Amino acid sequence: MEKSPIANETIIRDLLPQKFGMRGKLWTALLICICLVGAYAYFLQLKDGLAVTHMRDYVSWGIYISNFVFFVAISLVGSLITAVLRLANVHWSTPLTRIAEMIAVGAIMFAALIIIVDMGRPERLYFLFLHGRVQSPIMWDVIVITTYFFISLLLLYYPLLPDLKIMLEHREQTDRKLNRLYSMLGSFWKGSSKQSRLSRRAIRILCITIIPVAFSIHTVTSWLFATTYRPGWDSTNFGAYFISGAFLVGAGSVLVAMYVFRRNYRLEKYITLRHFDNMGKIVVLLGLIYLYFNINEYLVPAFKMKRSEDALLTSLFAGDFAPYFWFAILAGMIVPILILVTRKGRRPMPSFIAGCLVVVGAWFKRYVIVTPTLLHPFLPMYNVPASFRHYFPSWQEWAIAMGSLAGALLIITLLSRIFPIIPIEETIKENNETHR
Amino acid sequence: MENWWRSTNACWLPVVEKYPTKSCKSGSCVNKKMPKTPIKMEETNNSRRAFLLTGLLAAGAMAGCNSGNHEVETGEAGTMKPTGKKVKLLSVDGDVIEVDEAYLKPVPELPSVSNQEARVGIDGKKFVMVIDLSRCKNLKKCQEACNHMHYVNPGQNWIKVYPMQESAHTAPYWQPTTCMHCDEPPCVKVCPVDATFKRKDGIVAIDSDRCVGCRFCMAACPYSTRVFNWSAPEIPEEVASRPYSCETSVPQKKGTVGKCDFCPDMARKGELPHCVSACPNGTFFFGDLNEDSVTNGAETFRFSDLIRDKGGYRLMEDMGTKPSVYYLPAVDRNFPFQPDAEDSISTSDSK
Amino acid sequence: MKRIDKCCHYGLLLLLLISGSTAPAQDSLKGDLNMTVGYVLENNQVPYVLAHVQTKVNRRFRPVTGIPIKLYLNSDSAANLVGQLLTDDQGKAASTIPGALAATWGKTDKHRFVAVFTGDEKFNPARAEATVSRAKIQIDTLPDKKIAVQIFEKKDSSWVPAKGVDVSISVKRFGANLNVNETATFSTDSTGTVTADFKRNNIPGDKNGNITIVARVDDNDQYGTLVLEKALPWGAPFVYKDDFQKRSLYATRNKAPIWLLFMSYFMAISVWGVLLWLIRNLFRIRKLGLTAQD
Repeated sequence: MEKSPIANETIIRDLLPQKFGMRGKLWTALLICICLVGAYAYFLQLKDGLAVTHMRDYVSWGIYISNFVFFVAISLVGSLITAVLRLANVHWSTPLTRIAEMIAVGAIMFAALIIIVDMGRPERLYFLFLHGRVQSPIMWDVIVITTYFFISLLLLYYPLLPDLKIMLEHREQTDRKLNRLYSMLGSFWKGSSKQSRLSRRAIRILCITIIPVAFSIHTVTSWLFATTYRPGWDSTNFGAYFISGAFLVGAGSVLVAMYVFRRNYRLEKYITLRHFDNMGKIVVLLGLIYLYFNINEYLVPAFKMKRSEDALLTSLFAGDFAPYFWFAILAGMIVPILILVTRKGRRPMPSFIAGCLVVVGAWFKRYVIVTPTLLHPFLPMYNVPASFRHYFPSWQEWAIAMGSLAGALLIITLLSRIFPIIPIEETIKENNETHR
Repeated sequence: MENWWRSTNACWLPVVEKYPTKSCKSGSCVNKKMPKTPIKMEETNNSRRAFLLTGLLAAGAMAGCNSGNHEVETGEAGTMKPTGKKVKLLSVDGDVIEVDEAYLKPVPELPSVSNQEARVGIDGKKFVMVIDLSRCKNLKKCQEACNHMHYVNPGQNWIKVYPMQESAHTAPYWQPTTCMHCDEPPCVKVCPVDATFKRKDGIVAIDSDRCVGCRFCMAACPYSTRVFNWSAPEIPEEVASRPYSCETSVPQKKGTVGKCDFCPDMARKGELPHCVSACPNGTFFFGDLNEDSVTNGAETFRFSDLIRDKGGYRLMEDMGTKPSVYYLPAVDRNFPFQPDAEDSISTSDSK
Repeated sequence: MKRIDKCCHYGLLLLLLISGSTAPAQDSLKGDLNMTVGYVLENNQVPYVLAHVQTKVNRRFRPVTGIPIKLYLNSDSAANLVGQLLTDDQGKAASTIPGALAATWGKTDKHRFVAVFTGDEKFNPARAEATVSRAKIQIDTLPDKKIAVQIFEKKDSSWVPAKGVDVSISVKRFGANLNVNETATFSTDSTGTVTADFKRNNIPGDKNGNITIVARVDDNDQYGTLVLEKALPWGAPFVYKDDFQKRSLYATRNKAPIWLLFMSYFMAISVWGVLLWLIRNLFRIRKLGLTAQD
């Protein structure tokens, strides 16, 4: 299908970062408000201790930890879209690479922050570096998350260099402060062949390196649970199970972001129906894989119904946690697959809905992984205050959790304001190549 | 000598041991009230007196250790230099012996064990506990004593007494559950900052000054023994201002984890943990596996005999945690199991 | 001394005032102390007098700390003061016998100890007495792993066997000692002797198999508490070993398993090596760009 060539100048004009309109400002203001409420709730938590949450001795890990797992999962999108597809020489995904990296950077930052929020003694964070034990899965997590954060930053920065040059060439169209930022970041990029060669090689190496690191972060995060004895967590499946879930929620979040950016910045020429079609197919594939892992994870123990797992599985399938569990399965996997499996379903609007369902379903899935297991310890819950026997987060926990989500969205929003959402130079190059 | 008796922790020297002799294998145990410096004395003419006095003073200095190859350490509070002024005391035969006055002055409370020593533990020991389930009547005196001595937050317990019934037709019984002080502790494996650690003497201790409050150890423990200080503990001022020691586990700190510690501060004095002494039925037996002996204060048994003859077992053996707490099955009971008002019997998930 | 006397003075005054002026109800607010006094001789070292103070709280006895007690030999007079003590956190207070009382001590074979507490705001005054005869304890071994313990009483400058005294013979262990056989206590016969079979075969001793046998007369009405220890080679040799220095997943940070150290350092160094190379690469690009300007 031949598309008419787009003039370079048009591309540039369309893709340069644009000022926020009313909607953008309201959105940013809303996110900042949520973050501020979260910050206030955190201040209360620092003052009075973790008692302000509803976590107690049995459910000692609550939505802070399930949020953490959720963030780490989403951050894997960077490796998927940017690295895997790039290495596979897939070109249609080029417009999506920067969105994916922005999501990855925002998510991984807040993964680290929410973990600090969950600590009982955050002022002792430096003990992890001073007294850290390499035998502990938490140390592994700290190391890999730090590593992944830096890789994601580099993978955001390297492809940005040519775009910085373009933006500086058109500096009259952008804000003066932003221009200063651009020149500080990349005024040395001339686009010479030597520089391009070095940059291409570096990006290729980054893409190769990020894949094992991305696999590591979510495997290690899953091992925070799998290295314990608890029913529901004591599974050899966890590494692969979590990674497949991570890829799914990452792809789902890209679907959402694609739609939002396309609508608000009128990027129909660049994020086309074909992109939704392809991403939709990817989400179907990833959804089926994740569904497969879920079946393994739940059906096999349910066949055996070991005593320690009996009560847990019953509560998940038909008990207290059944609504959350089935919502996560249906909304997180089955319904999106059903939507996206048809051609009509892969149009922008239905894709967006499917993407939202995937993300929300994934959040509930993480909750279902963390909390029910903790409410089914080996020894009976006995002679404890009533508040120990169930868990529903307090308003401070909700505020902080929502604040962290808002914070991640805020980072993505700010990044999209500062940097072009779609790589300009690569789009120009590909546009020229297809119409040569 | 005027106001010596006003100091509440005055101890008399050369009183050897005031109470039944404590044993420690290699002389590095510490009695808080005894100075650590070797006490030298001028030799008197009477060799027997000299022998007695050296013996008793050395014993006094080492507080009940079998003298021999004990290590001689200088303690901070104990630079016991003879003043030259002698005091006369009666020896065992009614003879008058002279002791330098310096050794009679009350010794102030020595600083408790250093953090380094607390992390290594008591040399030569391997503590083990045996709980006789046929004696437990759910009186919860163990809980009271432990909570009281460690200022545990209200509503939380370091010792939990569970009503257990494995299945519908098996016997119900009360199971007091302390920390198992596992030989392969899952909690220690996952701690990122060495805040919980396994000592030489088998005790798994917590350093509340190191704990960052990540609660991974709580997730990892299959026995659900750990509790968390969700808020600042409500303890009296004088307790809160005490210097913290891993061996006393007092005062507890906000945002850190707490659990049963087998009372290492009592063990250093040769005494039994508070739960062991508190149980009126003598349910808890505590001792040193290396000595093959456990006691509940009133009765002492050979550990190997007790476990063999009564069919002792450990909880959740198949987890591979290798706990240090053994249970004797609830057989030949003198009293029937009576459920508590609170719960009906709930089946446990695992033995 | 002066201050103590003054204190007792005031204490007495207070007592008088209170007892004189108040209704019986106020007196009953003060607790009653249960005080015992005993004589302890351990391992033939310097003997001491031990006072133990308890009070009944909720039908259970609890130790009382910080009670000032005066101990006397034979009578309450100041000349016979053995010592003035404060009870510790277990409610116990001990004192050796000062040399000044040698004369009083030497006069008789039987000695009376008196413990006096003059009372304070919380407790009524209390008094305890004990009369002990001087005694000594002796341990011998007989063939076939038997232990013979003899108790002697001092009568007119000679030691005569003490009959019917309850003796426990045990192996010294942590916390509490382990009886040498099933019998908890033995009673001395007419020759003041008790014989016990040592049944604890292969009980762990030190690395040479030495154990300590403890013969103990506990709180006897006539003789007080007598303890004697004797080391015997009747135990099984035990060499102490522990895994504290071994590398493992549950050891401290400096004792991590080698394979884990190798794996984690290898992965971290290789990935961060690549990252550092990439950052250096950035600087190379930058240099290229800056120099091309010229």
